[in-house]
Amino acid sequence: MQNSFFIKKKENSNADAFNSGTKKSCETVSFEPKIIGFLCNWCSYAGADKAGTAQKPYPPNVSVIRVMCSGRIDPQFILDAFQKGADGVMVLACHPGDCHYKEGNYRAVQRYRLLLKLLKQFGIEAERCRFDYVSAGEGDRFVSVINETVKAVKKLGPLKR
Amino acid sequence: MKTAVYFCNCGSNISEKINPEIVENTVKMNNPGIVFKSYGFLCSEEGKEFLKKDIEDSGVNALVISACSPRDHEKTFMNVLTSAGLNPYMMQMINVREQVAWVTEDKDRAAEKAINYINAAISRVNLQEPLENKEIDVSPNAVVVGAGPAGLKTALSLAEAGRKVTIVEKSPFIGGLPVRYEEIFPNMECGPCMLEPIMGDALHGNSSENIEFLTLSEIDGVVGSYGNFTVKIKRSPRYVDIEKCIGCAECIEPCPVSSGNPFNCGINKRKAVDFSFVGALPNVPYINAEDCIRLNNKFKNGDVLCRSCIDACPVGEDVFKFDEKEEILERNVGSIILATGSDLYDCAKIPSLGYGKISDVYNSMEFERILASNGPTEGKIKTSGGKEPRSFAIVHCVGSLDENHKEYCSGICCEYAFKFNHIIRNKIPSATIYHLYKEMVIPGKENAGLYKHAAEDSNTYFIRINDINGITVKEEGDKKFFYIDGAEKISVDAVILCPASVPGKDTGKLAGILETSLDKNGFFEELHSRTDAGRSKIKGIYVAGSCHSPMDIKEAMSEGIGATGYVLSGLVQGKKLSIDPITAVVDSEKCSGCKVCISVCPYKAISFNEEKEISIINELLCQGCGTCAAACPSAVIKANGFTNEEIFAEIHAILA
Repeated sequence: MQNSFFIKKKENSNADAFNSGTKKSCETVSFEPKIIGFLCNWCSYAGADKAGTAQKPYPPNVSVIRVMCSGRIDPQFILDAFQKGADGVMVLACHPGDCHYKEGNYRAVQRYRLLLKLLKQFGIEAERCRFDYVSAGEGDRFVSVINETVKAVKKLGPLKR
Repeated sequence: MKTAVYFCNCGSNISEKINPEIVENTVKMNNPGIVFKSYGFLCSEEGKEFLKKDIEDSGVNALVISACSPRDHEKTFMNVLTSAGLNPYMMQMINVREQVAWVTEDKDRAAEKAINYINAAISRVNLQEPLENKEIDVSPNAVVVGAGPAGLKTALSLAEAGRKVTIVEKSPFIGGLPVRYEEIFPNMECGPCMLEPIMGDALHGNSSENIEFLTLSEIDGVVGSYGNFTVKIKRSPRYVDIEKCIGCAECIEPCPVSSGNPFNCGINKRKAVDFSFVGALPNVPYINAEDCIRLNNKFKNGDVLCRSCIDACPVGEDVFKFDEKEEILERNVGSIILATGSDLYDCAKIPSLGYGKISDVYNSMEFERILASNGPTEGKIKTSGGKEPRSFAIVHCVGSLDENHKEYCSGICCEYAFKFNHIIRNKIPSATIYHLYKEMVIPGKENAGLYKHAAEDSNTYFIRINDINGITVKEEGDKKFFYIDGAEKISVDAVILCPASVPGKDTGKLAGILETSLDKNGFFEELHSRTDAGRSKIKGIYVAGSCHSPMDIKEAMSEGIGATGYVLSGLVQGKKLSIDPITAVVDSEKCSGCKVCISVCPYKAISFNEEKEISIINELLCQGCGTCAAACPSAVIKANGFTNEEIFAEIHAILA
């Protein structure tokens, strides 16, 4: 199933789906980017909850998908999100050494680094795909990571497909 | 599939920001046929009753619960589903309180985000499948490796709770390191006396029938997993029958051969048949096969086999079993506790300290034995020249806090260094004692006393040193001299080195057999160094005492109790073990056998079936992280609860 999915994506990219480039100068005030955030259950999702209980406001552009571990995040989820309309994707993991599953966050960062090379070939800017670490206690950090990412993606404008 | 959305207002926590009516209308419009209900407090007793009744009455078979964080109440609502006769995994909870209502300023955008989440959850929950907890039979019993403080405490506590325990101890006696110590900090108790009640209870107490002691034994292999390990134990022969021997020691004197006694660091000799030390338990001597002339077929007089020990034995010839062979024993247990203890850093690795080359330079274990009344000098401190030393240098931090040796502080050396100070002062009142140290570490509510004695003593000197490697010990005549950074020169008669605690020498070998991991210092690695420091990274294998981190006797004993707690709470006698279904599953029809998943699994839960050439996940060991599912190049590993299809559905609905 995954193989056919990948082939389909290749066809799309040939059909100008992925390599169309974006307008970097586009900074329209009304643009509200759609961003998907993959959060691990134990650290970053708990960090987002922490920001919630502290009632720290942040822009609603990031839609969270909870997974048990950042190591679960298949790079194809990220490619799929970009293909289906996301302007940005975030992967938030436990800090190095803190992974609930020992080393899932290391797998996640390895995959992320490889994925960035692929995204570049698709014409997707690295700033649209953010990897970061947020612990269960870092509500403030979660908010600032969200703010920074939303700001960066707004600056880049919509991802053209 | 009939799906329902239950929208919790959380009092006004959610409904104040997000109007449930707007959400209901839009969700119904986007998802024709959906059931939508809102409620004040869904987690209250009334709320749960409402939910249960509504599930039963409406006949829904999949639920979306829009409320607080699943980290708060997912389990609460899963239980409601179960009580209503639904599979608890046929539910998706979305976090509209913490991650929308409380953090979104604009009400319209908050409602829009909530609707978006609900739509995504509906499309996901429709793909979810019922998952079942599995139950397996387990053994409540345990193997404890190591009969030191941690191992004995674990074994005794488990035995008192009615569990069968096999203690595997590689040396011929039990008690571990403390039985070597004449006195123990901070209260100067005698080591063997302190352990005596515990050893006595374990050997002859009310629960001792639950404990099997295997001395001169080591772990040879382990198969199986948590709840059902089969442990292979290699037992070397003692050549003396532990049941028949009365421990009278008559056989020792007549034995014609002797060699260095490892128990006393080789300082004195032991006979080929001998106790490790006076008072060793079990109270039975053992025969050192390398030395015994009978076992080596060497003839003492003409062609008559040596029978000195046999002839001396008042019990009878059959006490000795010279035909005894190495044995492999098997024990089936549910848990394994590693309590193999620690060793000392090799002081010879800092050559300038002269250890092993200059006489009267001792490591702390050798000095402990010199101080012991059952030791090689019967507790008398004498130099190699036979004189009583008049001055001592006690060097702390040997190989500790040093990136070229061991980066950590062992946390016990300062304490026993001041114990040495106290004992030397009692035995040789006029002695001059120098403490050379890098850092002084004396934590704990009882431990400052011995330090205070030393600090208030007029003939004890403290010298703080930047770098222990800057100390040079030289021998000039029968005097030892200290040079500190090549300049200051101090004369002493004996030098005592207090090295870093390091893992016992067989730790690596045992880790290899058990497939447990080691940390960068070679200690057994903990599952989590703070919250789960008593568990190894392999489920069902626990660590206690200094085999996973340097520690004192008090901590080791507490860790023994801790390991007992893990066993008792994890494997309850008479109860099957329930396996959480959030695990990964390999599609055996489609697996290509590339083994990528095996390399990424942090729990060694995946093995390779050579016959079928496919990977197989042990659901007992799998913790459900899903890393293998993300790594599988053929996408044939299903992460239960977080399948590719479910996550893609969520992505697509959010972006629709």
